[in-house]
Amino acid sequence: MDAEASPFETSEMLAAFLASTPLLSDSWRLCDVANATTPRGFVMSVVGDVGYVAFSGIQMAGSLDPGCGNLVPLESAGNGLFLPLHRHNEGEEPVMVHAEMLHLYLSLHISSTFQIQMLALMEQSKSIIITGHGIGGAIASLCALWLLCNLPAVSSPSPTQVLCITFGSPLLGNASLSRAVLRERWGGNFCHVVSKHDIMPRLLFAPLPSFSHLHGLLHYWHLSMASPSDNLVFQLRNEDKAELLRFVLLHLQVLALDEQEAPTSTSFWPLGSYLFCSQEGAMCIDNAVSVVKMMHLMLMTGSPSSCIEDHLMYGDYVGNVCVQFLKQRSFMQGDLPESSYEAGVALALQSSGMDIQESVAGAAEDCLKMARRMGRTPNLNSAKLAIRLSEINPYRAQIEWYKASCDESDDQMGYYDCFKQRETSRRDSTVDLNRYKLASFWNRVIDMLEKNELPHDFHRRAKWVNTSQFYKLLVEPLEIAEYYRNGMHRVNGHYLSHGRERRFEIFDRWWRERRVSEEENNQRSKFASLTQDSCFWARVEEAKEWLDEARQESDRKVLALLWEKINGFERYARKLVESKEVSKDVVARNSSYSKWVKEYSALKSQMM
Amino acid sequence: YQVQSAVTDRKQIVFTGHSLGGSIAILATLWFLEKFFKSDSKIPPLCLTFGCPLTGNRIFSHALGRENWASYFIHFVMRYDIVPRLLLAPIPSIEQEFESILQFFAAKSTNESAGGVPEEASDFHMIVMRNAASVATHAACNLMGSTNMLLETVTSFIALSPYKPFGTYIFCTGNGKLVVLRNPDAVLQLLFYSSQLGSEREVAEIPCLSLHQHFGYESELQESLEMQDVVDLKQLETLPLSAEVTGGDSATINSALNDLGLSTRARLCLRAAGVLEKRKQGNKRNIDAKEKDIHNAMNELETSYRAYCKLRKVGCYDAFKLQKNRQDFDANLKRLTLTGIWDEIIDMLKRYELPDDFEGQRAWVELGTRYRRLVEPLDIANYYRHLKNEDTGPYATKGRPKRFRYTQRWREHAEKMPAESSGESHFWAEVEELQAKTGNGEGFEEVKERVLKLERNIQKWVNGGEVEKDVLLEESTLVKWWKTLPQHHKLESCISGLIKN
Repeated sequence: MDAEASPFETSEMLAAFLASTPLLSDSWRLCDVANATTPRGFVMSVVGDVGYVAFSGIQMAGSLDPGCGNLVPLESAGNGLFLPLHRHNEGEEPVMVHAEMLHLYLSLHISSTFQIQMLALMEQSKSIIITGHGIGGAIASLCALWLLCNLPAVSSPSPTQVLCITFGSPLLGNASLSRAVLRERWGGNFCHVVSKHDIMPRLLFAPLPSFSHLHGLLHYWHLSMASPSDNLVFQLRNEDKAELLRFVLLHLQVLALDEQEAPTSTSFWPLGSYLFCSQEGAMCIDNAVSVVKMMHLMLMTGSPSSCIEDHLMYGDYVGNVCVQFLKQRSFMQGDLPESSYEAGVALALQSSGMDIQESVAGAAEDCLKMARRMGRTPNLNSAKLAIRLSEINPYRAQIEWYKASCDESDDQMGYYDCFKQRETSRRDSTVDLNRYKLASFWNRVIDMLEKNELPHDFHRRAKWVNTSQFYKLLVEPLEIAEYYRNGMHRVNGHYLSHGRERRFEIFDRWWRERRVSEEENNQRSKFASLTQDSCFWARVEEAKEWLDEARQESDRKVLALLWEKINGFERYARKLVESKEVSKDVVARNSSYSKWVKEYSALKSQMM
Repeated sequence: YQVQSAVTDRKQIVFTGHSLGGSIAILATLWFLEKFFKSDSKIPPLCLTFGCPLTGNRIFSHALGRENWASYFIHFVMRYDIVPRLLLAPIPSIEQEFESILQFFAAKSTNESAGGVPEEASDFHMIVMRNAASVATHAACNLMGSTNMLLETVTSFIALSPYKPFGTYIFCTGNGKLVVLRNPDAVLQLLFYSSQLGSEREVAEIPCLSLHQHFGYESELQESLEMQDVVDLKQLETLPLSAEVTGGDSATINSALNDLGLSTRARLCLRAAGVLEKRKQGNKRNIDAKEKDIHNAMNELETSYRAYCKLRKVGCYDAFKLQKNRQDFDANLKRLTLTGIWDEIIDMLKRYELPDDFEGQRAWVELGTRYRRLVEPLDIANYYRHLKNEDTGPYATKGRPKRFRYTQRWREHAEKMPAESSGESHFWAEVEELQAKTGNGEGFEEVKERVLKLERNIQKWVNGGEVEKDVLLEESTLVKWWKTLPQHHKLESCISGLIKN
């Protein structure tokens, strides 16, 4: 019984779960303290098992104007702190973040007190929450990204948990950032609380440098955060507030009505999950397009003054939402739909306080429905994949068979060279076809994983870690052989740096991150069934080229460098062979490696 | 002694208790089920509890479902009674207030008219409800299929109580009606939602009620037994969502749900529990449909592959390990097909996506045992052929797939065998490991105990027909290794006779 579409609306239930925990109220409390007591700084606190870091919302450094929406690439501006996020797919823009926010974070980061205190906090608590209000929230997000990028992949006994909770914080980066974060499986580590009319989270949807009163707005907010109860002399003019609201709404509308999945131009985009709260309740959405639309619709119901004041109301909203568990809350508006899903949508709409406003109710309902999970549940997908795996296993078995016969054959070339130098024969073309089918399957697995269609712990499940490793060790040599056979290295560059398919790198990572209980260092008694370094042959090919170059090179310095690399490879390969971490095809008499060893000794003795 | 005599007199035994007494009754019933019900008495016991705190966790509930014992347990719960919900809060969170609550209970149970509730009652109720909310909403997010990754992250930041309900629950609405519920996921939701406040006025009332109602079972049930107004909640997935009465069958159900104060959200959660139950049954039907494929693949292995191996005069284990011919390749393909099907079943079990009683069903236990005996040796042969023991470690500790572990446990449970005793399907792994140790003829003394144990087991299994005789063929790995053992050992070995023949 496959349910094709999710039978229940879940964004409200998730918000209810979050609200029942102390995490929201504890985070807000600390943000309040940070705002009032440590402008431009941060506070830390420990509550039970959880460590909290709250960045103050008052963070303007001199002449910098955080209102300007300049994006900078993380790779160049990030000081190397965010390495895993540098990668992006072809045709995509580089990962970019807000320039001034990054600057603010970096200046905090290099201060020694910050580093020391962070380390101390991490030693004390196994879970860390990074939080902040307004701009403090954007800084918190960067801090969380830094932690996630640099935590050891497997720290014993269990990795530190990181969660970032922000309140009314401006957007941080572009769509590439969101995609990169999803690929790293960090989408669930960010929760941005957004109140119904607060204009701050929506500001960066509009190109702002032209708006001159932004300074005034920020100034007003900062004053209010620092001393919430004082009667402020400074106020924005009503016309200015109205103009700002109109301006933002205009740009947001364009974006919201755009039917595309993600913007192609450089602009800001949501990251992680968003908790929308109103007086009536809350809901939690992670679908980015729905988030943009919801931001638009909710803002439409606001007024010039409410869109400013709502930024300062998080204390009330959080307090309200966190006690809702106690009372029954039933559906008020007329007839309830019979379908579970529709009823859930109606309830969620009620919680957003938008059901009564005719102008937006319909659009809001559509927006929620867009966020519905269509297609099978992740668990079901995983189960279907397992069946598909058993269907393609015969192809893998055939390749195993092929390897065995290559290794036994009379020409003593071994698996790699047999395939590389193959004539067209039926057996070999079957191997080629099977190789292609397996590649197709595994690329599909990666694709599903990155689109969040598979369970979150999929890449940690022993079955898949082991199967992908076995596939990689068996088939990557064939991929390498094909690459060099077709002379691709002369066109694109060597396999290791330019030709390696992404799935193999991912499998490397899965294998490295697997939970390994005490390593028993057993000596091998026979050669391994498969060479344990799947890129071994690519290294051989590079070493071959070095030898050729060395033969013709006259420049002493260049030659010396070449020999360093050559000797390095020789040592590495020899060690591998001695510990029998290679399959016997490596040491076959006529294999590329064996030939290389002969040439190496010959050339070396010539040099003497 | 009293229990034993009741059994011999063929009387049904009822274990019962109020509050903590209920927990003890549960444990007593379990003791009875283990000791008597499986062997002597065929008359099931009954366990009736009143206001009993939660006693077991999810695995406990699952195990009772597997044995089909869940229906022997009936728990009565007054609508606001706080004791059945207590343990939804982790103990450290209620420690402070608990002292005075306990004192109140102690006073009230000896003297009915004992005074007012302690002032901590309101805070206490709030804390329990907050934690119950976390447990219930977390469970509901999973029931409803939320795929948001935030769910997992937040869960790792808080402590959720592991206690879960099991068995049949009967909720007393407070006006004489009784509502029966058997689905444990639904019971969990009901425990939370029925205790919510309906209005401002109730803020002060309910905490008091939550304590007083713990002592109200006698009077409430007397009224109920006279009224005989019982609603049995089945078909949860189609529960009415709206509180308005619609007429017909739904009307009675609806008034019961209203009397329990269930909001629209509460009803959606109950529906979700019902949908999950239906899905589990659907999964079971799908798996049952695969039974034929399993039989077919296994039949082919058993007949044609065995026959082929017999012709070659080596056992299936060694033929498969050598992988010389087409037939061996085909056998490998069958093995891989079966692996796919069984892994799917095991995966569903791990995620609780099959009905609880699946692992106890006779047909599947037997199928699993046949699969294990036929195919695990081939899996082991594959493992050692590819030298995975040198990559990863010994098969038994590092390489054994769950589909074999589980099916072995099923059999051991069903036939009341000691754990790990049904090892007839993977003794080859032990042979391979011992061979590595004694290979150079020197390591025998170290592993002597293991060798002796292995020999005793092999003798038992061959004689009992659990292991095929082809393992004793002259060219088999087993025999070839055994022949390398020291002479003095071979002379006294219990399987020397078997091997000679």
